[in-house]
This record gives sequence, C-alpha cells and structure tokens, in this order.
Amino acid sequence: MSIYPQAHSYGQAAYPAPGYPQPGPPTYSYQQSTAPPPSTYYVDPHSFRRDYAARLAQLTINSRPIIQSLSMVAQEYSRWAEIVVQCLEAHIRRVPPYMKLPSFYLLDAISKNVYDPYARHFAPFVVPLFLETYQQVDQTTRSKMEEMLLTWRTGAPSGKELFGFITQIAIERGVWGGDRGAADISKAQVLSELEFTLSQKERALQANTWDHEARKHVEVLQQLRSLVEAGVSQDELRQILSQLRSLSQSTAPPTTSSQPQVSYPQPSSTYQYPSQPVYPARTSFVPPAVQHSESINSSYHYQSTDQPKSEPLDLSALLSTSVSSGPSTSTSAAPPSNIAGLFSALLKAGIVSATGTPVGDSSSAKAEGSTPQPSDEPSENEREASRSYRRAILAETIKLTNADITKKRPAIVRFMYERLSVQCKQCGVRFSDDVMGRKDMESHLDMHFRQNRKANQNLGRGHSRSWFVALEDWVHDTSTDYKGKGRADGVRPLNAKASALAEAANREAELRAQFVIVPPGDEAKTISCPICKEILKSEFLEDDEEWVWKNAVKKDDRIFHATCHSEALTSVQSLAVRLRNETTGRSRSGTPEGISSRASPPKETASLRTSLSPTAESKRAALKRKAENDDPSFHMTATFDNDGTPPMKRLALEA
Amino acid sequence: MQNDSKEWVLDAETEYRFELDPGASLAIKLVHGQAEVFGAELAEGKSYLFGSECKAAIFTWQGCTLQITGHASTEYVSDETPMAAYANLHIAFEQMRVRALRVAHGSPNSDDDPNANAEPPRVLVLGPDNSGKTTICKILINYTVRAGQNWSPILINVDPSEGGWAVPGAIAAASVQSPLPTASPANPLGSAATSAPTALSSNALVPLSYWYGHADIKRNPLLLDRLIRNLGENVRDKCDGDPEAYTSGLIVDTPSSFASGPTSGASTDSRHTLIKACVEAFKINVILVVGHEKLNVEMQRLYGSRLTVLKIPKSGGVVELDLPYRQRVHKYQLHTYMYGQKIEQPPGISSAILGGEAVTDVVLSPSSSIINFNDLTIYRIGAESMAPSSALPIGAARTVSEMQPVLIDPASSGSGLLNAVLAFIAPFNPDETERYDEEILDLNVIGFLVITNIDIPNRKMTILSPNQGSFVGKTAIIGSFEWEE
Ligand SMILES: [Zn+2]
Ligand SMILES: [Zn+2]
Repeated sequence: MSIYPQAHSYGQAAYPAPGYPQPGPPTYSYQQSTAPPPSTYYVDPHSFRRDYAARLAQLTINSRPIIQSLSMVAQEYSRWAEIVVQCLEAHIRRVPPYMKLPSFYLLDAISKNVYDPYARHFAPFVVPLFLETYQQVDQTTRSKMEEMLLTWRTGAPSGKELFGFITQIAIERGVWGGDRGAADISKAQVLSELEFTLSQKERALQANTWDHEARKHVEVLQQLRSLVEAGVSQDELRQILSQLRSLSQSTAPPTTSSQPQVSYPQPSSTYQYPSQPVYPARTSFVPPAVQHSESINSSYHYQSTDQPKSEPLDLSALLSTSVSSGPSTSTSAAPPSNIAGLFSALLKAGIVSATGTPVGDSSSAKAEGSTPQPSDEPSENEREASRSYRRAILAETIKLTNADITKKRPAIVRFMYERLSVQCKQCGVRFSDDVMGRKDMESHLDMHFRQNRKANQNLGRGHSRSWFVALEDWVHDTSTDYKGKGRADGVRPLNAKASALAEAANREAELRAQFVIVPPGDEAKTISCPICKEILKSEFLEDDEEWVWKNAVKKDDRIFHATCHSEALTSVQSLAVRLRNETTGRSRSGTPEGISSRASPPKETASLRTSLSPTAESKRAALKRKAENDDPSFHMTATFDNDGTPPMKRLALEA
Repeated sequence: MQNDSKEWVLDAETEYRFELDPGASLAIKLVHGQAEVFGAELAEGKSYLFGSECKAAIFTWQGCTLQITGHASTEYVSDETPMAAYANLHIAFEQMRVRALRVAHGSPNSDDDPNANAEPPRVLVLGPDNSGKTTICKILINYTVRAGQNWSPILINVDPSEGGWAVPGAIAAASVQSPLPTASPANPLGSAATSAPTALSSNALVPLSYWYGHADIKRNPLLLDRLIRNLGENVRDKCDGDPEAYTSGLIVDTPSSFASGPTSGASTDSRHTLIKACVEAFKINVILVVGHEKLNVEMQRLYGSRLTVLKIPKSGGVVELDLPYRQRVHKYQLHTYMYGQKIEQPPGISSAILGGEAVTDVVLSPSSSIINFNDLTIYRIGAESMAPSSALPIGAARTVSEMQPVLIDPASSGSGLLNAVLAFIAPFNPDETERYDEEILDLNVIGFLVITNIDIPNRKMTILSPNQGSFVGKTAIIGSFEWEE
C-alpha cells in the first residue's frame, strides 16, 4: 500500500506545495506549516525515550501524519538525537518485514529534514541496517528502498550524499553489487535509476504541465526504459547509466520541492516564484522553462480576473509556439545538455525519431498539459466560470417537445468542443480553458500519473474484483459531495479504496481466526510453520474445550500459519499468471511492453493449489504476512479472541 | 502502415458503423479531427480495441479521419443519425440541471423563466427490442459527464438480462463521473471496481446491485417490482444526502419487455406495474420512448398529465439481435466478470486501449476454491419451476411462494447448483430484533460466484469467484443463469 511517491510527498501537504503561487517568503519550518507538534514537554531523557518508543510502535503503516509528527519531535528534541536514533534502529530491527519500510521513511525524513545531528548518528549503522532489511523484504518493498537509496545520493543540504560517500557506496554495492561506475552494471540497477529519474521528470511535468522539455524527457526516458527492459549491451548500459546520473544530478534541485527535504532553506525554483518579479511576456529575456510558464500563469490569472495589470497574453499563440519549437526547446530551457546527449544516443539507436516524436506509441504519460498551474485561490473565478456556462445553457431556447428535439440544430459543438478546448491526450477527456477547467485538468493528470505508476508496479499481478460496497456506504458515499475538489474525472470514489482495505483486513482476520485442533497428547509439542519457521501458538478454546493452534491450517499433514499459506498460494498463483502472460507475450510480438492479455489465468487454479508445497521461494513473500497476535496492528484479532466471541468454526479453506 | 488497415474519412455528422464476428477484433485510431463512440470522445492517435461481437459506431460532429485495423463483418458510413436529437435532449437536460442547481444554491435567477421546472432530469428510457435504449442512456450520461460541470449522474439499469456492471440477472445503480467506454457488449456501461488501478473512474464503478436472477421479467415480476423499489429508495436516500448527485439527475435503462408485449392480459399488467414501479421509485419526470408510436401513445395516456413523455427517434444503426447472440453476450459478461476484459489485438497492433485502459490492466485472476456444503447458505427465491405470470388466469393472485426464500440442499441431486450463477448477498442485520421474514429479498449483492463442481459423497463443492477473501459463512441466492467456461 505504500508507494514511494507517497513517501516523497509526506511533506507535501505540510509545506507549500510546488508551484502554488503564494504571497510572502516561503516558510521552511514545520511549526508554521503543519499542526504544532504534540505539546508534551519532556524533562528527562527516560520519559522521552519511553514516549518516543511508544509513538514509534504506532508506525505500522506508511502514514504521513505519524511520520511527520515523529519527525517533528525528533527535530524539536535534537538534543536527545541519540535516543531517537537508538529507538528507531531498535524499532526497524524488531518489526516484521512488511512494517520496515515506513520506519525507513521516517529515518529518511529525519535525516533529510533535520540533517544535523541525525545523519551523522545514523551513518555508522545505516549500511547493515539497510542491507539486512533489504534481504528480508519482498520485491516491491525492495524497489522502493532502491528509490529511496537513490535519493540519498543527493540528500544532504549540500546536494551530496546524505550519509557520506563511503556509506552510500557501501549500500549501493550491497544492493546492486560491483563498484559504482565500475565494470559490471546490472540491468536492475539501470532500471532502478531510470525509474528514479523518470519519477523526477514526471513530477516536474506534473508540477508544471507546460514544461514541454520535461514532457519530452519523460517520453525519451520511457522509451529508454522499454529498451533496457528488452535488453541492451554492457556498453550501452554504462552509457545510459552515466548520462542518467548527470541528468538526475542536474535536475535534483528543482525536484526537491516535492520531496521531504523542501524544508531546507535551500532555494529551489519553486520557492523562487513568489519573490521573483514576474517577467512580462514581451520582454526580450528568454527565461528558463520554469519561469517562462510562471509568467504565462500569472498573466493568465490577470486575464481571467479582468484585472488588466499586465497585458493579456494570447494563450493559444504561446502554446503553439512552445509546441512547434518541438525538440529544439532545449535551447530555451536551462540545463539539459545531458538529456541532449541521451537523446542523440537514442536517436542513433533508432528509438526516437529526429522530430522528437517517439517511434511507436507507447508514451503513456504523453498527457497534454496545456493548462498552466492551478491556483488555489479559488472560488470567485471558479464560480464565474460555472455561471458563464449556466447562462449559456439557459440561453438556449429548447423545450422538451418533439418538435424542438427533432428539428433544432443543437449547439452541442459549442458546448462539448469549443468551450472545452483543452483535451487530455491520454484519454480524450476535455476541460475548459478557465480556472475551473485548469484545476480539474490538474487533478486529472495527477490521476493518470498515479495510475500509470501503479500499473507499472502491478504489471502481471493477479487482480481481483472488489466486493460491492455495503448499502450504507453506497448511500453515504460523500466523495462526490462538493464541487470541484478532488472530484475531477478519474478520481476513484473513496469507497472503492475503502472497500479494498476493508476486504484485506477482513481476509486477514478470517485467516487468523482459522485454527487446527492439537491432537490429544501433542499439547506439549512445539511445531513450527514450514514457511516462516516460527513456532505456532497454541491456545485453549473454552467453548470447545480443546487446544488449538491459532492462525493455522493443515496441508498434507503439515501445519502452516494460515496467513503464510495463503500468501504462498497467492504468490504462486500470480507467478503462474505472469509466466503465462509473458510466454504468450514474447511469442507474439517483439514489443517489450506488449504483454499479452491472451492468456486466461489458469482455469484450474484449484489444481495449482493442491499441488503446491510451499518452498523457500515463497518463504520470503510469506514472511511479511507473518505477525503474531501481540502486533499492535492486529489487535482486531486479539479483541476478537478475547471478548468471548466464538471463533469461526473449523476452517473450510481446503485445497 | 499495416497491410490490414484502412483509412476512413468521415464528413461532419456522420458515423462509421461496424459489426464484429465472434473472435474478431478491431482497432480504431483517430488520425485527426474529433470523434466519439456513443458519446465518449476518442483521444487522437490511440488505438481503441473492440471485440466480443461488438456492434458500435464512431460518430463525428465536425469530421474526422479514422484508421481501422482488423476485420469487421459489416462496416459502412451513414449520414443518417439521430445524434442531433440526442444532443438537443442533452441540452434540455442541462437546462434542468442548471435550474435545479440554482434552486439548491438558493439563487433562482431573474434572467430565467420563473415558471420553468426546477427539478433535475430523472429520465426513464423505454423502447422495444433493438431500439438502442442502452446506447441512448450511455450517450446522455457521457454528454453529462463531459459537460465540464462535474456532474455525477446516476445510471440505473433495471434490465435484468443486461446486468449492468455485474452479471446478467442483476439490476443496479451507479454514480458515473467519467465517460463510459465502449469495447464489447460484455460491459456496455463501464466496469465495476477491481484491485487494478484504472485510468477511467468508469472502469472502477461502485454499483449498488440487487439480484433478480433471471433474464425474463415475466419469471417473477413481483420480485423485480420489489427490487426496483429497493433500488429506488436507496437512490433517493443518496440524492437526499448528496446535493450534487441530486442535481445531476438520473437515467434509467429498461428491458425491452417493458415496451412490448400483448396489449392486454396479465403480461401487460405486469409490464405496466413495473413501469409504474420505476416511475415511482425513481421519481421519474421524463419518459423517453424510443421509436415506438403505440407505446408513446400509451405512456402519454398514462403519464402525460404528470410528467413529460417524449418520443425520440431510434438510430438506423441498431442491429437486430437474435436469441443466440444474447446468450453469447451473457457468456461474455460472465467471463468478463470473472476474468476481466480480454480482447485480442488485431495483427500489427500493439499497446491498444481496451475500454479506456491499457490491455494488460484489466485482467483478473479469479480463485477456484473447494468449500464444504455447509460453509455457504444457499437460497432460491420462489418455487423452482414457477408458471410464468402470463400463464396464470387473468386476475389470479400469486401465492406467497413466489417471494419465499427456499433453502437449497447441495446434497440433493436436483439442487440445480452445478454451473449455476449465484449472488453473494450482504449480511443479515446483526441485530436479531431487526430481522424479518423476507429480509433476504431486500439485501443487496456484494459479489457473484459460479459453482463449478459438486462432490456429494464428500459434501464439498468447488466455486469460482473473482473476489478475494473467505466465502465461509456467507449467504448466496441462485437464479436461473448457468455458466460453463
Ligand atoms: Zn485523461
Ligand atoms: Zn508461518
């Protein structure tokens, strides 16, 4: 559930979001922009330690508020940094693998946001801690850790390695093997760095949809990713890697705006906006891409508020110029000599065409961002835009009569196309070229961005259909309650998410409620789960007057944790699906991303299940499910057991 | 580009119509201009995939060029479409929404006709077989969500043979916020939510669904009447609590059997009763009758004094659909419910869009599980073989058994469970004192399953379902649909 972008953005709500025009100098401190830290005042280190450890125990999921608040406390009590560091280390080592990532995000946040003295306190043990954790977690978590590791390269306020060069190298070597920049470069490493650079660019694009340069970069990088996935030579890998590095270094400062380290008083382009004079559009100065769009943005505001403070700008003219300048926009944009090199390499490899249009049509993030930044100052403009629509609609003289309906020439083109002149290139949905439309477009593109990311992460995974929601939830679904906000097309109703979560929790609880009766005489015997090797807990059921193993399921005369077993089944199932998909995909076309949908998931999933005997392969996947009843996150199960509710009758999940 | 692809140049206000054979698929790319498929606009340069015997049309208001790859059994361009009338309808409905919104905001405007109706459009669409009712509903919904006003109209499907977002046999309502895609007859109204991330919220719809269980409305009209009223009550509750849903209005798609049948007798009574149930349940204020003069007259006579009854033209593109086709569509729907949407890309096409999503994103992995007989409580509503209402003497009252939940024993050889499609229903009221005899009739659906094997000696059965989680302890209702892969 925790994807890295969320982690990146845990500071986003708290800090001024990138690109929002805001008056006055930017604020950097936590206190001004978030809820104040808990007001408890610690007089002695012992009670501080106790309390901090207790708060840490709540960090069982990737929760932005919890991470923020723990990070704030760490900042405030930096005189007791050692205690914070010790607590966090102990916590990371103690929690089950699936809970480790959020704790690392906290470590990341504290180190970047407060930096001194924390980074140097973490530095001595962050290498083994990272690598040991990396070994224990599943593939998804690993790739998130890799992403985080990449941000550490430039995580220090100076733009250098967050925990120092030596530490960084040591971790990277542990993760990818080999020396940084030396001989054998693995495909995984290049892909990982590609993803990272791509996410930087996508964020840049998202923050500034006018940035054609960024859009082109995104497209190029996506092509590049397909290429690397399909397989390239060592030489090419090295070439790509070195260009990627210089590229991501050169773009690092602007992207910090969407990362936790925005709290540094380190100027980033986002923060410069408000304090810089807005360049009049007709000035001879050719501003860098970012400021360029800012000037459009502000003039545009003037225009729509009818305050002729600056000359109104012809948006479409501007748009067409920036579009027609095509690939050569790099001349008007600030840094990208590196991407130009990358570009020419790609050109040589035949991946992109000279016109800048990628060959093939796989550029999924090719969203048309013809809208400038949204402004958060809303209502009056927004209301006026709606009012103008309403007036136009009511001005139509049409009645619900047969004559009117069948004889009139509808003004539909005006309403459906002309008024909505901005179109999403990805799905065809249109928006009006006004405040309201821009806002909707913004959240719409944001939705595509998140969805593309998720889809990439989930590729080939077996999906399930969500249970339909409960009646109450359907009736009172308030996600569509008020206008404009988060209501743009594509925002999945809250309920879908809620029901998915509830589903997962429900399933977890059901698995945990399963038990196996201890054969008479075996009460003293300890047995361990073949998957995770942990000892199964036994318990006496008052109602049935029998000893049982909790969270247990019997298979082929062996007893597994029900949760471990289920996890193993799932991974085997989805593996089978993926294999089938990949096989058919490969045989059919050479397109790297052309994974076929031809393959039906195995019809006889049941037979797959019966033949299953979980192996070491599935152990790792299963590990993250393993959690004992004393885990705070599973108090649901605990109460279920303790409040006298009869446990669910004998398990029925037979395979 | 590909040898099997052709370009079609369409003039303004014409449409490219196509029909596909079983197993065939078509990829359509908008090369330039603007085009829409049943009201959902196409993005330029993307390949849209169609399959599962889809019969559809790409319409353009201002002209366009399409590139078509794959083989259609029938394809032609027509310049006679009823789209102008549908567009006029949309604008008239927009006026109603705008007025309703003003009233909701407490700001009726002086520049408007003070006598105008300030109710949002609540539209019942009636029409005989092959009149394109569902398509009209879809176009009207799509135009509404495309208006740029953040409307979220509720689309209601009371045609149990269509099943809307679920499987055939169900009736359902869902709030729509993005255009409904068209790709296959398996999910003509968008898709219900899955664990997969989707680009369109119309592929992650959250329906409220009730299980009727049969294709034919005459099989148990009393039950259907009750389910329609249940659906209506909850839709009203939703609108009461959500001004935006209220002002966006609703559109109800109906079975063709509401519109056609003998002009007298019990069957006429039951269809009139069901139309009345819809009008009351959803507080209908506009009835659209698609291309059927007699029905128009009938509705004018019954409802003309209270609400707007309007006859609208039907599209010449609507194709006659025979029974075998409808049965194949039911199979497609069930397969899609279980496995997600799958359509082969035609040769030479890669990375096409299927119903607005990347092809790989819509694949589900249903689970097949073996459970004990008593893990699931299974009911049938009414007697197993019930004479259709039409066979009863005129005026004869139904026995209560029509609505009676009958417990089914999977161990009995005639249980009819093998290959049956069942609906999981929401749990009974946890508060025992709130329970009542026919409560099961009023519980909404939470998912569906198919029983793929029954092992009577070991008292076990195999069930297939795309939902995750345990099925133990749940209650399910059987209907008359069966499915085999
Ligand atoms: Zn879009
Ligand atoms: Zn285990």
